[in-house]
Amino acid sequence: MTELDTAADPGLRDRVVEEICALLPRVLKREVAGATAETTLMEALGLSSTAALELVLELEERLEREISVEELGRDDFATIGTLAGYIAANLLPEED
Amino acid sequence: MNVEREQGARERAVTALLDVAVHLPEQRTSVDEVAAQYGLTPMQVKVFRRYHKLGEVRRDPGGDLIDLLRAAVAGLGGLRGREQDVRYVVHARTFPSVVPYPLHPVHELCREFGLERASAFAVGHHACASGLLALDVVGRLLAADPDPGALALVLAGEKTFTAEAEILPDTTFFSEGASACLVGADGSRDRMLAYAVDQRAEYDDDAEQVALAFQRDYAQLLADTIHAALQRAALPLDAVSALLPHNVNAPIWRQVCRILGFPLERVVLENLAAYGHVFCADAFINYRTAVRRELLRPGEHYVMAAGAGRGAAFAAMVFEH
Repeated sequence: MTELDTAADPGLRDRVVEEICALLPRVLKREVAGATAETTLMEALGLSSTAALELVLELEERLEREISVEELGRDDFATIGTLAGYIAANLLPEED
Repeated sequence: MNVEREQGARERAVTALLDVAVHLPEQRTSVDEVAAQYGLTPMQVKVFRRYHKLGEVRRDPGGDLIDLLRAAVAGLGGLRGREQDVRYVVHARTFPSVVPYPLHPVHELCREFGLERASAFAVGHHACASGLLALDVVGRLLAADPDPGALALVLAGEKTFTAEAEILPDTTFFSEGASACLVGADGSRDRMLAYAVDQRAEYDDDAEQVALAFQRDYAQLLADTIHAALQRAALPLDAVSALLPHNVNAPIWRQVCRILGFPLERVVLENLAAYGHVFCADAFINYRTAVRRELLRPGEHYVMAAGAGRGAAFAAMVFEH
């Protein structure tokens, strides 16, 4: 495995939560108010799985890092926080 | 679940796949090109390429449906000399209407190949799971036929003739192509051990909440149907050497494997990038790939499985090679 072990870095996860919240209006094409780590992606926001994948790609560009998606599962798309947790733990190393 | 009442014990059934041939037209079209026609954003295309592992589809711009089907049947060596034994020619369809009235390409094909003794008809309304339904239907018809040497021909494949037949939003791209499968009431190879189908009409709705619920539940329902088929065949999951999927996209099969605890590398997904979803022909195309790559040895078991969006039907069939 080449992923960095960043699961224990709550600071990175919190930063990803912020980035996801900032990107939501763009992906959902509407204003989104009051989203937090606990907000559910599908039920509360109506985010389809493809739109959630678009969100992950947008995050890659924003973070300028590639995200390994091979292990990305349904449970990771439960809330903004779970998705942020997956991304924080699956950022691929920066290329030199 | 519907599967519980759908198939009785199949101990007596030894429906066998005697020969399988496929045809994919030469012209390759990138998914970017198809996506551009339907106004998809570059990011949406990137999702299809990167996550869904889709890349190209095949097109036969100068040909009709009969040309696709004809090319598949022409490759069926096992049919030569046995044309008079064919009692049923069945076209498994994703879409109920595939040609304008009054064209009947399957009847025309029967005349061309000397299959005049056969009854020709279409099987559908299970969308992309209709291919397995057609195998089950002909298996039952052949089992009831007084002639033990009677055969059936199951055809699959369609033209991408409308927007809905080109792209399934957020899900997949369709490819033109065809398969032909010669089926016998008995045989020693590729014996059909069990079939399970679960029809979930409650998901067949365009309402946003229903569509989201369908996305959420899809992999679980497909995994449950595979389990049901294996249970009926009295086989454990680890007895399955290969899973021949419908070529919808990679994430769905990743999820199904995670739910089942089945190794993803045993799912024949290599045709996804080259062809995308070839309607009801996927399982047969992947069968040919599995045989070519020697993934199946005599006596080993495999599962053909498909989940359908429209009509929300899930199907799985267990075979012994």
